[in-house]
Amino acid sequence: MSLHPPRDKRVSLADAARLVPDDAMVALGGGLSARLPMALVRELIRQGRRGLHLVGSAHSIDVDLLVATGAVRRCEESYVGFEQDLGLAPAYRRAAETGAIEVAESCCATILAQLRAAEMGLPFLPVRGVRGSDIRRLHPEYAEITCPFTGETLVAVPALRPDVALLHAPIGDRYGNLHLEQPYVLDERFAAASRAVIATVDEIVSTDEVTAAGVTIPAHKVAAVTEVPFGAHPTSCYPRYAYDRAHLREYTAAAAAGPDGVDKYLSGYLGDDEEQYREAVGADRLRALTTWSESTDAWQELFR
Amino acid sequence: MSWTIDEWFVIALARTIRPAETVFHGFGSPCAQVAMHVARRTHAREMTLIEGATYAINPEPAFIPPTGNDESLRRGAAYSMRFEEFFDAAIRGDVDRMFLSGGQIDPFGNTNVTAIGPAGRPKVKLGGGGGGCNLSATIPHLTLWTSHHRSGRTLVGSCDFITDMGHRTPLGSRAELGFSGGGPQWLVTELGLFDYPGERARLVRIFPDVTVDQIRAATGFEFEVAGDLRPVDPPSAAELAAVRTIDPLKVRASEFSAAELDRTFDAAAGQDCGC
Repeated sequence: MSLHPPRDKRVSLADAARLVPDDAMVALGGGLSARLPMALVRELIRQGRRGLHLVGSAHSIDVDLLVATGAVRRCEESYVGFEQDLGLAPAYRRAAETGAIEVAESCCATILAQLRAAEMGLPFLPVRGVRGSDIRRLHPEYAEITCPFTGETLVAVPALRPDVALLHAPIGDRYGNLHLEQPYVLDERFAAASRAVIATVDEIVSTDEVTAAGVTIPAHKVAAVTEVPFGAHPTSCYPRYAYDRAHLREYTAAAAAGPDGVDKYLSGYLGDDEEQYREAVGADRLRALTTWSESTDAWQELFR
Repeated sequence: MSWTIDEWFVIALARTIRPAETVFHGFGSPCAQVAMHVARRTHAREMTLIEGATYAINPEPAFIPPTGNDESLRRGAAYSMRFEEFFDAAIRGDVDRMFLSGGQIDPFGNTNVTAIGPAGRPKVKLGGGGGGCNLSATIPHLTLWTSHHRSGRTLVGSCDFITDMGHRTPLGSRAELGFSGGGPQWLVTELGLFDYPGERARLVRIFPDVTVDQIRAATGFEFEVAGDLRPVDPPSAAELAAVRTIDPLKVRASEFSAAELDRTFDAAAGQDCGC
C-alpha cells in the first residue's frame, strides 16, 4: 500500500462506488446504528455489485441490505443484527440459513489483531482466547502457536488487509482529511490496514475547519471523498443527526417478510441516486433527526 | 411499594457487581446496561463503568436509548476509550467483570449467540458474539443472564455452538486451556439466581412466585440446589428509584415476553416461596 498524494480527491458517489470491484474484500466503518457508510452501500446496490467479502465488527442494515440484494459472498463480522430492540437481521439470517452466503463469524478482538498485523506489515499476531470457542472451527486459517518466551499456547491470526474500507464522517476536506466523533469503532484501523479508503462526508469543509475539529483519518490514507448529506442515514452521524429508529423498524419488518418485502423497501427508497433517496425519506423526517441537541426530551422522543 | 419482574431482574444483575470493579457490557444488552447504572447509583459508587459500544468511562446518561451505540450514552463522560484501548485492557486483565447472555446457556456457563442447529446450515442464525470469544477467556468474572429461562429452550444440556467459554468446554477446563479469567460467577434468570461453586450452575435464589419444580421443568440439565435456598432479596427503595430514573424508555422490558412483564410484586404480600 502506498500513501495517497495530497490532491483533490472529490469524486461523484457513482465514481467512488466504482472503485469497489466485484469480489473485493470490503471493510465497513462505523458500528450498529452509528456512522455506517450507507450512501456507498446504496450505490453499490444500484450498481449491482456481486461477490463481496464483507469485514467488520458489529453491523446492522449495511450488511443486511447488501446480503438482501445478492451482493455478498462471504460475511466476516462479529455481529450482524438490530440488537434487542429490533432483533435478528432478516436477510442475513435467511442467507445464512439457506447457505446463500458463507458465514465466517469472527470476534471484535480477533479482527482488531488481524488489522493491526496488516498495518504493522506483519504476517500475523497472536490472540489469547478463541480456543474452546467454536468460532475457531469457522476459521481453518487460524493456527496454534507456542510462545517462545512463556510457553503459553496462543492462536495466530493472519493479517487482514481489505481491498477497500468504506467510511462515513460528518466532515472532511477535499483532500480526504476526515474528522470523526467517538466512538471511532474500527475506522482508524481499517484506514491503516486497507489498500484504499473511500469516504463519504455529510459536508466537505475547508482544511482549517477539519484541523480545528481534529483530523481522525488523514488524507494520505484516503483515495476518494464524496459529499453526501445524510450519507449515514438511517444510522446516526453525530453531531449532525441521530439514528432513524422508525426507518430501521420499517426496514426490518419489510425484510422479515422475505425477498418481496426487500423489493418493496428498495422500490420505495433506493431511487437512482441519493437525492431521490433523501426525497423518499422526506425532508421533515431528516430535519427531525437533527433536533436531538435541542433538549433531553427532544432526544428521548426520537427513540420512542 | 410495588415493582415488576423487569425491575427486580435488573436489580439482581446490579447486585452481582462488587463496589470498586471495572465493568463492561456488550451491545444488545439493555438489562445489563441498566443494571450497571443502577449499581453505580447505589452500592457501587466507586465502580468504573465502561459503557458498551461507546466505551465511555462513567457517563451520566439522562436515559438509555434502544441502541447500544448512541451519543446519548456518552453524556457526562470525561473520556471515551478507543475500541482498541478497551480490548487491550480486557485482554490484559484490567476489566474485572463482563455481562454475557446467550440464546443457549449450558450447565458450565458456555453460551451460544451464533446459531441454533448445525453451524454450517443453522436452523436459526443468531446475531453473533461481538468480542465475547476472546473476552470470556481473560475477564476475571462473568455475570451471565437470560430472561427466557421459562421457555425451556435457553438453559440446555449442551450448546449447539459455543461462542463464549464457560467453565469447561469439550476441549477442557479453563485451567487446561490456560485462560486467566475465572469464568461465570453468576447466572441470573427471570426465575432465579445460580452461582458456580465448581464448574456447574447451582440454584441459590428464587423469585417468590416461582417453584423449584418449575425451574427444573424449564432447565435442560440437572442442577444442585443450595442448602440455604431462599427468595431473591426484595428491591430497596433506592434500587427501584435508580432503575426508574435511568431507564425512562424502559428499554429493559424489550428482553422479556409480554407474559413475564405482568409479574408484579409488593412488599406487603410477604415472601412466600416454593422453596
